[in-house]
Amino acid sequence: MSSVSEDAANQLSRPQLVLGGQNFHTVTEAVSRIAEGKTPKAWYLAFAITSSITAILGAMLAYLVATGVGVWGNNQPIGWAWDITNFVFWIGIGHAGTLISAILFLFRQKWRTSINRFAEAMTLFAVACAGIYPLFHVGRVWVAWWLFPLPYSQGMWPNFRSPLLWDVFAVSTYGTVSLLFWYVGLIPDIGTFRDRAKSKIKKMIYGALSLGWRGSGRHWRHYEIAYMILAGLSTPLVLSVHSVVSFDFAVSIIPGWHTTIFPPYFVAGAIFSGFAMVMTLMLIARWIFKLENFVTMVHLDNMCKIMLATGTIVGYAYATEFFIAWYSGNAYEKFTFLNRAFGPYAWAYWIMVSCNVISPQLFWFKSLRSNLTVMFIVSIIINIGMWFERFVIIVTSLHRDFLPSSWGYFSPTFVDILTFFGSFGLFLTLFLLFIRVLPIIAVSEVKGVMPQAHAHGDSHH
Amino acid sequence: MKVTDKFKLESATIQKARTPLIALAVVGWLVSLAGFAINRDQFYFSYLVSFVYVLSICLGALFFVMIQYVTTSGWSVTVRRLAETVMVNVDILAVLFIPVAIGIPTLFHWSHPEVVNKDLLLQKKAGYLNTTFFIVRAVIYFLVWILLTKQIYGNSVSQDQNGNPSHTQTNAKWSAPGILLLFITGSFAAFDWLMSLDPHWYSTIFGIYFFSGGGVSFVALLIVIAILLRRSGYLEKAITVEHYHDLGKLLFAFTVFWTYIAFSQYFLIWYANIPEETIWYIHRFEGSWKAVSVFLPLGHFLFPFFALISRTAKRHLVFLPAMALWILFAHYVDIYWMVMPTHAHHGPNIKFLFLDLATLAAVVGTVGFVFVSRLGKNAIVPVRDPFLEESLKFENV
Repeated sequence: MSSVSEDAANQLSRPQLVLGGQNFHTVTEAVSRIAEGKTPKAWYLAFAITSSITAILGAMLAYLVATGVGVWGNNQPIGWAWDITNFVFWIGIGHAGTLISAILFLFRQKWRTSINRFAEAMTLFAVACAGIYPLFHVGRVWVAWWLFPLPYSQGMWPNFRSPLLWDVFAVSTYGTVSLLFWYVGLIPDIGTFRDRAKSKIKKMIYGALSLGWRGSGRHWRHYEIAYMILAGLSTPLVLSVHSVVSFDFAVSIIPGWHTTIFPPYFVAGAIFSGFAMVMTLMLIARWIFKLENFVTMVHLDNMCKIMLATGTIVGYAYATEFFIAWYSGNAYEKFTFLNRAFGPYAWAYWIMVSCNVISPQLFWFKSLRSNLTVMFIVSIIINIGMWFERFVIIVTSLHRDFLPSSWGYFSPTFVDILTFFGSFGLFLTLFLLFIRVLPIIAVSEVKGVMPQAHAHGDSHH
Repeated sequence: MKVTDKFKLESATIQKARTPLIALAVVGWLVSLAGFAINRDQFYFSYLVSFVYVLSICLGALFFVMIQYVTTSGWSVTVRRLAETVMVNVDILAVLFIPVAIGIPTLFHWSHPEVVNKDLLLQKKAGYLNTTFFIVRAVIYFLVWILLTKQIYGNSVSQDQNGNPSHTQTNAKWSAPGILLLFITGSFAAFDWLMSLDPHWYSTIFGIYFFSGGGVSFVALLIVIAILLRRSGYLEKAITVEHYHDLGKLLFAFTVFWTYIAFSQYFLIWYANIPEETIWYIHRFEGSWKAVSVFLPLGHFLFPFFALISRTAKRHLVFLPAMALWILFAHYVDIYWMVMPTHAHHGPNIKFLFLDLATLAAVVGTVGFVFVSRLGKNAIVPVRDPFLEESLKFENV
């Protein structure tokens, strides 16, 4: 065999997913110390900053409730703007977690074990941020419970034909199942934390949360069945949530909104943005907590490839929409798309295209998929681009209505801007709390993909 | 790991498989020719259905193979050569495209200048929908597909000889951009050959719809081929019940994916209720077409969904191929339902004619014959693939 083919053979062997000659004990130690050690000063500082930003969110929402939705820049004809943009942006971010933990599980992608806990936590926090916007957009937030089909008591019944109502069901189902899935996955690790806890209070809290986990063979069997069932249930949810979100737009008859490719296109975009956010946060966590042995270059390389694939699908959808807008021969469709690319919001459109379609193309190159700086920058660029995608879809389709007398332009108010800014505070605050109290890497699952877990030394099938 | 399977087809087996296929092809072509003399219009429409049906499955095979390479998949190595030998037949399909090209005036009324002159919409589209550009595009599609399939197939069979693992990497390098090229060309092929049959109508999801049907049908075909080989005494140990279980999962998943795409298209058009879009479905709800429109969600989704959901079903080596055959049937109905209602002389009712069967026999017989001949030339498993051993001992945990 020539040296070239030997090199090829080396690259083709299955990579080790945990590096640094770890054994089961060192894995437990490495992950547990992040939450168990004395809270670092930097954490307090970070928490002070993020919780202050969350306070801004609270202040803006209080101001909105006290004054009215008019404090946002929404106008006629732009009835939906930053509020729905932010909603779709955060919901999209929430998609990576379930994709990693459910779909990649069903596809037997073992590298998922190092990032799934982290990504699932991110999913839950992102869904929490997303929920704020439609909730407050209803105006009288104290009667938001009317959205639920409660027994006839108000003399009214929600309109089941409205996709906005489907959103309520889709997002709440998704949030619930994601939480369950995350929690079930946590149980063995919470058991570990309980056993390691020194203080009595910690022992009690972790003890209650671990649901009496003893790690017996029977426990593991039940656990694995439950995990598999939840993975099966979560898989269609990954597709359904963003499909329903896309219905908010696509069932209408507004050019730029009504197009049949929207459901799969939105799902691909959601996974794309979700992976970008996982990448951004994971690179920071990996650096601070020295997780290089768990989140290896192989993991990051795979994440880059998924971003490349989903970013290119999004590009395919942009191109298809544009082509069909011309092909349809429909004057309104054609106008909407030309207006997007060359009208008053052309700047937003081209930000979207360059961030979402062009920037991930860098990941065709292996050298850039192994460059942490490039990864970090591109992941942030993608996050920006995916926010702009929703903004472009929502605002450019609305701002020039069928009659030129109903044309307008949207400018955000300080309340729009600070509410969005504040939601990052909430997201990061929840994250900081998560890091301090729960294992950020799924210890028991990572052990399962280590060679020691396989009696015959074959860590792969 | 010791495996005692035969990895090369015996000439008796090849002969046994080729005889019925050549008979099918000969009878199919003869009857098609007779039908062509009697009813030219019907021939072209029937032929288009059969051609697109087989082509969509070959493109599904190309997609399957490229995905295996891109993801460095281990479990699928023992079935990959079968998939490669299906996909490589796009070259025969390029030749079989000729009757479609000749039939353009019958099939596509945008090809008639006198029709276009009276139709403002078609005038706007004339830059795209014209005979010359239509044929140029078809040539480009086939060149891309032939290039991809030849490269990947060639590398894979070279590896059988020299065992060089770098072929696996080369194929992965072809596959990543290959998937992108396949999606672009395949989508436009679907716009051209199916969507433009009704040139006023448009749907952005149509390309994905076309792929989702081809993808699920290819998995079905792969199951059928593997089982037929098993019955003839091949690959009993290389393609185990574990592999069938996985193929069954993919069959199930792609069935759901097809439904998701088909539902998205129908639902959004139904809800928005814009006449220029709903007309496509209205044609398919007229007369006896309604029965076909009702059949699709039942036969292409509900029945296979519930039939395939259990683990037992996916591991049953009689039930699974039976369901695979059913999916292949349902996919044919789907293509038939996309093409035939636009046939102006067809009327509002289904007239399933001998030409439908004859053209199907002709295309399936021809492609099947070439497939078997090609399968006989090389090993039926990539014998020196670096992940072969992993695939041989693969088990669902």
